[in-house]
Amino acid sequence: MIRFKNVTKIYPPDTYALKNVTLYIRAGEFVSIVGQSGTGKTTLIKLIIAEEKPTRGEVIIGDWNITDIKSSEIPILRRQIGVVFQDFKLLPRKTIFENVAFGMEVAGIHQKRIHDIVPQVLKIVGLEKKMDRFPPQISGGEQQRAVIARALVHRPKILVADEPTGNLDSINSQEIINLLLKINEFGTTVVLVTHNREIVNSLRKRVITIDQGTVISDQSSGKYIL
Amino acid sequence: MWLFFFRTIKFAFQGFIRNIWLSIVTIVILVLTLFSVTMAAGINVLANQAIGSVQDKVDVSVYFKPEVQEKDVLNVQNRLESMAQVQEVTYTSADEALEIFKAKHADDPIILDSINQLDVNPLGATLVIKATSTDQYPAIITTLDGQEYATLIQDKSYDDNQKVIGRLNDLSDRVQKIGFGISAVFIIIAILIIFNTIRINIYTHREEIGIMKLVGASNWFVRAPFLVESLLYGLLAVVICLGILYPLLSVIGPQINTFFEGYDLNFTQYFSTQFWQIVGWQILFAVALSVISSLIAISRYLRV
Repeated sequence: MIRFKNVTKIYPPDTYALKNVTLYIRAGEFVSIVGQSGTGKTTLIKLIIAEEKPTRGEVIIGDWNITDIKSSEIPILRRQIGVVFQDFKLLPRKTIFENVAFGMEVAGIHQKRIHDIVPQVLKIVGLEKKMDRFPPQISGGEQQRAVIARALVHRPKILVADEPTGNLDSINSQEIINLLLKINEFGTTVVLVTHNREIVNSLRKRVITIDQGTVISDQSSGKYIL
Repeated sequence: MWLFFFRTIKFAFQGFIRNIWLSIVTIVILVLTLFSVTMAAGINVLANQAIGSVQDKVDVSVYFKPEVQEKDVLNVQNRLESMAQVQEVTYTSADEALEIFKAKHADDPIILDSINQLDVNPLGATLVIKATSTDQYPAIITTLDGQEYATLIQDKSYDDNQKVIGRLNDLSDRVQKIGFGISAVFIIIAILIIFNTIRINIYTHREEIGIMKLVGASNWFVRAPFLVESLLYGLLAVVICLGILYPLLSVIGPQINTFFEGYDLNFTQYFSTQFWQIVGWQILFAVALSVISSLIAISRYLRV
């Protein structure tokens, strides 16, 4: 599903974010990518959603080699990948309903279908009663659930979560992780980037550890080793 | 396509209403800028018209010797009328000249008695020449100074008016240059203000633009509503500007018209006859400028 072949990413002038990374994530897997701050975890996510291009090596999503993806094709790729960010990235002047609907609107989905699906997805994340509120009017945990709803609404094959619990308390964090597990059970590949030791250890799923831009460990039922 | 169009319009109006204060501030700045540019351009045009109106009053009279035959005068008239520099030539016969002279001095019995005592008409025919512009008079006078006319012409009023015409030409040139300079400065300032206002407006939306891109929106899906919003700013600014300008003109116009009384110039009439032209220029200026500014400003934040 996601394949990195000898990927190196250098930020000018000579900062190595990733060094010769090779990894393969199968369809339907739940993978945690762990490591300390500044080790290249977010760069890895940015390469998956084509926010950055690799300096060397190849990135392949499904059957699509996105190493030299054209800028006009990037929106098409992103509509197939759900992304959850640490800082939520909700549109502040749109309601929760509109934020989630936006994920479908960009793909040109008809209004009627949007009105059918969005309430269902908001119900799954427990926000059906707050769909008319604006992001600043709901809590951090609720905002993150709205982001997950937006990421899910166009039924992506891959869900990438970059430190989704970074701004949340432990109860909200656990709720978000449970939601990600539920999504994974439905067949979506989930890539979780985190440095939360407790969450990683409780998951008992595959753990890829990155240190200074290099994969130092890849365990099928791993633990946070740093 | 219709869905894209519908969503663009929806997002544009949504953005306009939900950022109402930012929208109001942007429109107010656009209105002030448009108003200043329109007034500067209007005053420039009127100053030129005022000068033109004064220039229009300038003419040159050519007095023929009393013994010159009418056909010779008419020949000169034909010759003058064929010149590109000449707009109009009015012929006054010797008899008409005498009648005008008498009418002019009707209250002066001494002059009238003197004239009546003469057996022959002492006045000759006159040609009043109006040039296409005041700077054409020297060329016309040079023609009249030629040998062929020396025996026919007694006098020309140009010699007396030469200084005034020269000053008027000079003044016209200066007014045009200053007017052009002021308008150019105003337009440059207006362009910079509008560009910066729209840029700041877009800057406040930079995070939203980035988020839209990350969620999978194409560049046009992000860009189009902002362009429509800018179009709305421009159109509303034009409507408000005209809504202020015309009532204001109806108040100050009559006073300006009184000031220019006697000249072929009407301030309020100028703005009402040129209404659609002013609307057109304002729309072109405000709408095109805000949309282009928006297009440039937004492109910076689309690289996500």
